Parts: sequence; structure tokens; C-alpha cells
Amino acid sequence: MDSFATIVSILYQFATNGAFLLLSALGLIVILGMMNIINLAHGELMMMGAYTASIAWHRGVPFWLCAILAFLVVALFGALLERTIVRRFYGRELGALVVTWGISLILSQGALTVFGPFLPAIPIPGGSIALGQYSFSVYWLTVIALACVLIAGLWALYNYTTFGLQARAAMQNPAMARALGVDTGRVYMLTFSLGAGLAGFSGALFAPTVSIAPFMGQQFVAPAFITVVVGGATNVIIGALGSSLLLSLIKTPIGFVFGAFVGTVALLLAALVIIRLMPDGVSAVLQRLIDRRNRFA
Amino acid sequence: MTDPILRTVGLTKNFDGVVATNDVSISVPGGELRCIIGPNGAGKSTLFSLLCGIHRADAGRVLLKGEDVTRLLAFQRVRRGIGLTFQTNRAFHRLSVRQNLDAVLQIMRADRPADADQRYRFALDRFGLDPDSEMLAKELPHHRLQWLEMAMVLAAGPDIILLDEPTAGMSTEETLQTGAVLKHLNSSGLTIVVVEHDVAFVRDVAQRITVMHQGRIFAEGTVKEITEHADVRRIYLGQA
Amino acid sequence: MSHLLKLLTGPEDIGRSRWFWAAFVAVCVFLFVYPFWLSEFEATNNAYYLLNVPIALGLALLWGYCGILSFGQVAYFGVAGYVYGIVSGNMIGNAAGPIVGSLCGLAVCALTAAIFGYFVFYGRVQNWIVPILTLVLTLLLETFLGQTAGYQWRVGTVQLGGYNGMTGIPAFQVGQLVVTGYSFYYYVLIIVVVGYLSLRVLVNSQYGKVMLAIREDPIRTELLGYDIRARQLVVFVIAAVFAGISGLLYVQWGNYITPSQVGLLQASLPVIWVAVGGRESLLAVLLSTCALNWLNYTLSSEGYQYALIIIGVLLVTVMLFFPDGIIVTLARELPKRGWRALVGLHKGKAG
Repeated sequence: MDSFATIVSILYQFATNGAFLLLSALGLIVILGMMNIINLAHGELMMMGAYTASIAWHRGVPFWLCAILAFLVVALFGALLERTIVRRFYGRELGALVVTWGISLILSQGALTVFGPFLPAIPIPGGSIALGQYSFSVYWLTVIALACVLIAGLWALYNYTTFGLQARAAMQNPAMARALGVDTGRVYMLTFSLGAGLAGFSGALFAPTVSIAPFMGQQFVAPAFITVVVGGATNVIIGALGSSLLLSLIKTPIGFVFGAFVGTVALLLAALVIIRLMPDGVSAVLQRLIDRRNRFA
Repeated sequence: MTDPILRTVGLTKNFDGVVATNDVSISVPGGELRCIIGPNGAGKSTLFSLLCGIHRADAGRVLLKGEDVTRLLAFQRVRRGIGLTFQTNRAFHRLSVRQNLDAVLQIMRADRPADADQRYRFALDRFGLDPDSEMLAKELPHHRLQWLEMAMVLAAGPDIILLDEPTAGMSTEETLQTGAVLKHLNSSGLTIVVVEHDVAFVRDVAQRITVMHQGRIFAEGTVKEITEHADVRRIYLGQA
Repeated sequence: MSHLLKLLTGPEDIGRSRWFWAAFVAVCVFLFVYPFWLSEFEATNNAYYLLNVPIALGLALLWGYCGILSFGQVAYFGVAGYVYGIVSGNMIGNAAGPIVGSLCGLAVCALTAAIFGYFVFYGRVQNWIVPILTLVLTLLLETFLGQTAGYQWRVGTVQLGGYNGMTGIPAFQVGQLVVTGYSFYYYVLIIVVVGYLSLRVLVNSQYGKVMLAIREDPIRTELLGYDIRARQLVVFVIAAVFAGISGLLYVQWGNYITPSQVGLLQASLPVIWVAVGGRESLLAVLLSTCALNWLNYTLSSEGYQYALIIIGVLLVTVMLFFPDGIIVTLARELPKRGWRALVGLHKGKAG
């Protein structure tokens, strides 16, 4: 009985780490996969989501609604950003990197100036479940489930909806897509908006677990970027999933033995080695496997 | 019997299930001017990229001057005497003509053929390229931009150059002039392999023609043999 | 000698005419003479505006001339500073301490950059990966240094100090001369001028011309016979060493260093200085770095928060309207079009 609990505990650790990486990186990957832009304001968008959740929650809004609100608010802001600034940098990846960094500076410093050094915390909803000598947080179990639902939802969105079809067309060949009547400008705006919204949603989900401050986005930036680098841009969904699983496989044992920080360092070292072996990321390798399977099916 | 300067054995390359080159074995003797022709999608550009090391072959070998270079990286092969111009011009467009030509001065190989410098200067002269010109490469007329890239490749003193559709987009005049320069370079000992679609150009310069189709070598022979080859006509014009 | 002169006055940076060099020499002379009218405090302040020039020049070399964007140059700034603090701190009383410490600092920078660069450039990764991984490296360094509070975190007799950082770092010393005050100002000035001129020689050299080719089209350059991986690695290491030089100057100026020096905000500064001046010109970057450091210092007297918002806004504005950098754009357009150059500038080429 005890070893069963231990196994569940290990799986739980693995799943929490994976969900953390996936949720941290999801918004970033959606934007990267579509427009080849790394949004360096990603951490600040997560912060915005957390701030929205905190403000709403302390006005009595139930937590699940706060998270949805966070998604909407940040998605709207993302659309605004895209319309005014980001769209001038398509095709200029490095320029986009620099300008989104400027935006992140403005957002984080702005939050500090307007809201001060801290916002009131949100207590973690839900209690815990005991199994053997371990206790598992209901909240984290929900977050893990949410991460699975999100990835499945994105999969459905990209593969079974018209928007998804147009998005994939625009990803592969924008000029051709336009020639076929796809409004690529709208697709880009909606994608950036979606990526921002996902960042805000993740920020809201993580809000109860961290202190809510102007620079809170920073702690997610390193893991998110590493996940994105290892995932690659070939196939957004598969890359995100494969990368978080692979990295969680590395981080969980190391983090367990040596602590969280060493775990993150191990991630960076792992990323360096992985890109040496797979320069286009996990998604490229997985995509090739899928293509091969499809061909011989 | 000296080694051919370039030889491939069973060169095969797949791109995600599409077979680009299929068991290609060619042999180019030193000093020849070879043209490779074939319908689009025949695998000609892929063959060039395999020869230079831009892509790794899935199977087969590449031999340069008798040495197996299949495992070597692109720059290592270039240092052994092969050069390439691309189908879409890849001179440095944002840089000036001077900067383009300055960039190649450092790669004068130790074992360059004695007349490498002469060939380079000849090309600069006949192509009308001024090594001190601050004009941006992208402001050059198209044919001169093509010539710029050719001259740059010659600077390294290769023993064999691969030209991928050099006269695409050129007028008849310019095509003729390109042909004349290539023939002169070839007569000085430079081996040249050209992928081309322009029939007049091929007739003018080729000593031997290789025809590719659907990734394979379809036919090979002299200009006369190929132009009279019924099957070659068929693959170009469809089933008669 | 004439060859060196030719390299110095080559075309790969702004300013080639006699007028330019006359003005350059005049400014240098002025900067040498100027401290006679300043108090020691003011001279040291001016040195502060200058000491960030090397890290910016290194980034300009890496990004503007070779096409590789690194967001984590400050990591090497910090590495050099901390290593110098450790080594010279353990050699207090020994007159060779600071020199040995400086050499160690730069050596560790070069080594770290070489290892990191090996994985990145020999892996032939896509272009956008380098900025991300260099940023991650510096963030991890900050986190690591931040949790080194406590007595157990020391090397020899020197404590790392956690978030409060390392204090009591010795000033630079040459023989019996301790370099502070006026002598520090001249020390920094000489390093900056020599550093700028050396890089100018490098970019005009044959090596520099190939760097431009790598920036423009790495595959075409490789197909001309160059080992681009090795060259990218070398330029990356040079940029890291220059970042390390700034780090050394910083700790030798203030005698302390904290983990925030390698954090996110600090990491953004070199990118801003280079983007605002114009990454394709060493001189433009030198000028913009001095100007922006002066601006930052002046603004922070008012209130640090606003300084950074202003700088963030400046960065976004420059990227939108002067993508090639303000100074570079003016230098290119003014001779051609006069004041009308200021119109329609957003059509430049960032990226």
C-alpha cells in the first residue's frame, strides 16, 4: 500500500512540474509557432493576469471566474499590443524581441508605479487529499487537469475549426494563404491575443501559489523560455507537450534531490545538450515521426 | 587513367517521404563543361546541395578528386576545391560590391590552382565588376548580380564549380556573354557543371549533357545525342 | 604602420575624413584635460558614464557586425566582477592582487563564453535561440548569486553575500599606485579609447569583413569555405571579454557588486544603448552609451521607477521609428537629405 502511495506521489510531482512548465510556456509557444516571434513581455502578461485575478478576487468574484476574467483582460490587451506595435515587426524576429522587451520594461515598472510593490495574496483554493503518508493539493490536481484540458482544447482548435485551418495555413505559407482568401492580419491578431490570454490565464492560475508583485513574471520566464527552446516551432501543440514532459522528466528527480533551483539549472544544461542534438527542437523530431507513420499507414 | 574530378555513387536523398534524388551516380572528368538538364522537380538542385554538403545524403557517396568527402562539412568540401552558386542569387545584397568581394579575399586556399587568381581577375574584368564600388549589391541589375556571385565563388580558386541556373532572368545578350566567359574559364582547366533550362545556352557551352528526371539519371551523352533522344523529348513535352 | 592606419580609418564605422579624425583627437584631448576643472567626485562620476562603454561595444560587435543577439552580456559583467572580488579579496596586501584578479576575471568570462558558445554555435541552432538562452543564463546566475547569503558561501576569505552582494572589493592597483579618483578617470578613459580603436581595427580587418558576410548570409559564407561556427564563437568570446572589462571597471569603481547587476533590468540596458545608438556602428554605440548613462543617472536622482519607464518607452519608440538606431540613421541620411532625413525613417531595417 505504501509503495503505491509513493508511486502516486512521484507521478504527482512529475505531473505538477510538467503542468507548471506547460502553463508557463503555452502562451509563448502559440505566438512563436504562428509568427516566429518571441514575446519577451510574456512574464509581464502573466503578471497582468495575476493582478486581474487578485483585484477581482478581493472584490468577491469566485476564483474560477477570476481566471477567466484574467484570460479576457489580457487577451484584449494582447490584441491592442499587436495592432499598435507588434505587427510592424513581422519578419524581423530580433527587432520583435527587442521591442517586446521594451514593452515588458514599461509594464513591470508601470505596475510598480501604479500599484505599488505588492498586491494582496490569494489563498490557495481547495484543500488536500491524503494518501498514505503523502498529501496532495486539490488545487494542483485541478491545475494539472486544466493543463490537459487546455492542450486538448488547443489541439481541437487547430485541427477541427475553421480558424485552426486558417491559422495553420498562415503558419506554413502566409502569401499562399492570403491568395486563398485568408485574412492573415486577423489571424495574427487573434493568435497573439490568444497567446496573451493564455499567459494571463496561467498567471491567474499561479497567483495563489506565489506573491503577487510587479516582477513576479520573472520566475516563469526562465522555465518558459527553456520549454519553448526545447519544444521548437515546428508544431506548436506537440512541441509544448513533448517539451514539458521531457523537461519534467529531467527536473523532477533532480529538483527532488537537490532543490528547485538546481532543478532549473539542470533544465538549462539539458536544453543546451538537447538543442545540440535536436537543433529544431522536440517538435521537429516528433513531427517527422508522425509524418513517417502517416506515410506508411 | 586519372580519377574523375567529381563522382557520386548511388546518391539518395529523402525529404519527409519525397524522394528528391534516387540512386544517382554521375562522373565528371576533370576539365569538362557538363550541363545538367531536366524538368522541374527532377532533383537537380538537391543534387548540388548534396555535392556541396548543404544536405546530408541518406545513402551514397560523394568523391571529390578521388577523395571520399561524404562525411565532410560544407566548408571543408569548399576548401578541397568545389564551389557553388545558388538558384536564387545569394550574393550579399545589403552589402556593397566592394564588401562582397572583400569577404572572399581571406579564403585563398593554400593549394589553389596556379591560375586561380587569373581566373578571378578575368571574371571581374569580363563581368564588369569594380572591387572598389560602394554600390549596394541589390542595386545592381540582375545579370550583374548573378555575375557577382560567380566571381565570388571563383575567388576561392576552386577546381570545379557548380552553377545552378546562372542565366535565369538574363537577356539573350547577357546569356551569350555568360556562356563565353564560362567557356573561356573552362578552357583554362576549370571544371564546370551547370544546371540550365535555356536550350540555346546548353547547345552553346555543353561538352556533355546529363538529363535528370524524377530524381534519377535519365540519359547522358553529347549535345547531339541528347537533342535527338526521343525519350528526352517525351519527358519535357509529356507523352506524345 | 600605414596598414594599421588604413585599418583604423576603414569604412566599416562612421567617420573617415580628416575632419572626423581631427575632431576625434580634439575630443580626446579635451577629455584628458577636462578633469583639471573638476572635483575628484565629479571626475569619478564621469568615469561611471564611460565604464559601461566596453560592454556596449562588445554587444555592438556581436549583434551589429556579426548578427548574433545576446541578451545576457551582463552575465559576463557579473562573472568578471565577482571573480575579481574573490581573487583580489583573497590577495589583500599583495600589490599584484588586483592585476591577478582582473586577469582571472577576464579568463573566467572567456571560458564561460567559450563553453556556452560551443553548444550554441556548433549546434547550428536557429537565430532566435541565442537571445533566449543567453537571457536564461543571466537570470539563473542572478538567482544563484541571490541565494548565496550566509557564511558558508565564501571562497577563501571572501563572502559572496547573497542579495546584499559582495562589498569591500579592492580598487585597481598598479605597483604602489592605487587607482581611485582622478587616476581612475584616466584609467577608464584610456581603456575605453584603446578598446574602441582596437575594435575599429578588428571590424575593418579581413576578419571583420567576413563577420559581415556571416551576418548577412551564414550559409553563403560557409559555402565560400569559412568555418562560420568557429568565427561566431570567437566573436562571442570577444564580446564576453569586453562585457567583463566593464564588470571589472564597475567593481573597481564602486568596490561592491550585487546580484541585481546580472538581473533582468540590468540585462536590458546594453541592448537599449546599442539599439538607440545604432548597432552597426561602434562609434554610434559609444556615444549613445555615454549619453544614456548620463540620462539614467540624472533621471534616477528623480526616482528610479520613472527612469526605467522612460527608458522602456525610449526603446519602443526607437525600435518603431529609428530601427537602425538614431545616430546611425542620422549619419546615413543627413549627408543625403538634410533635415528631411527625419521624415520616413521607420522604413529602416531592424531584425
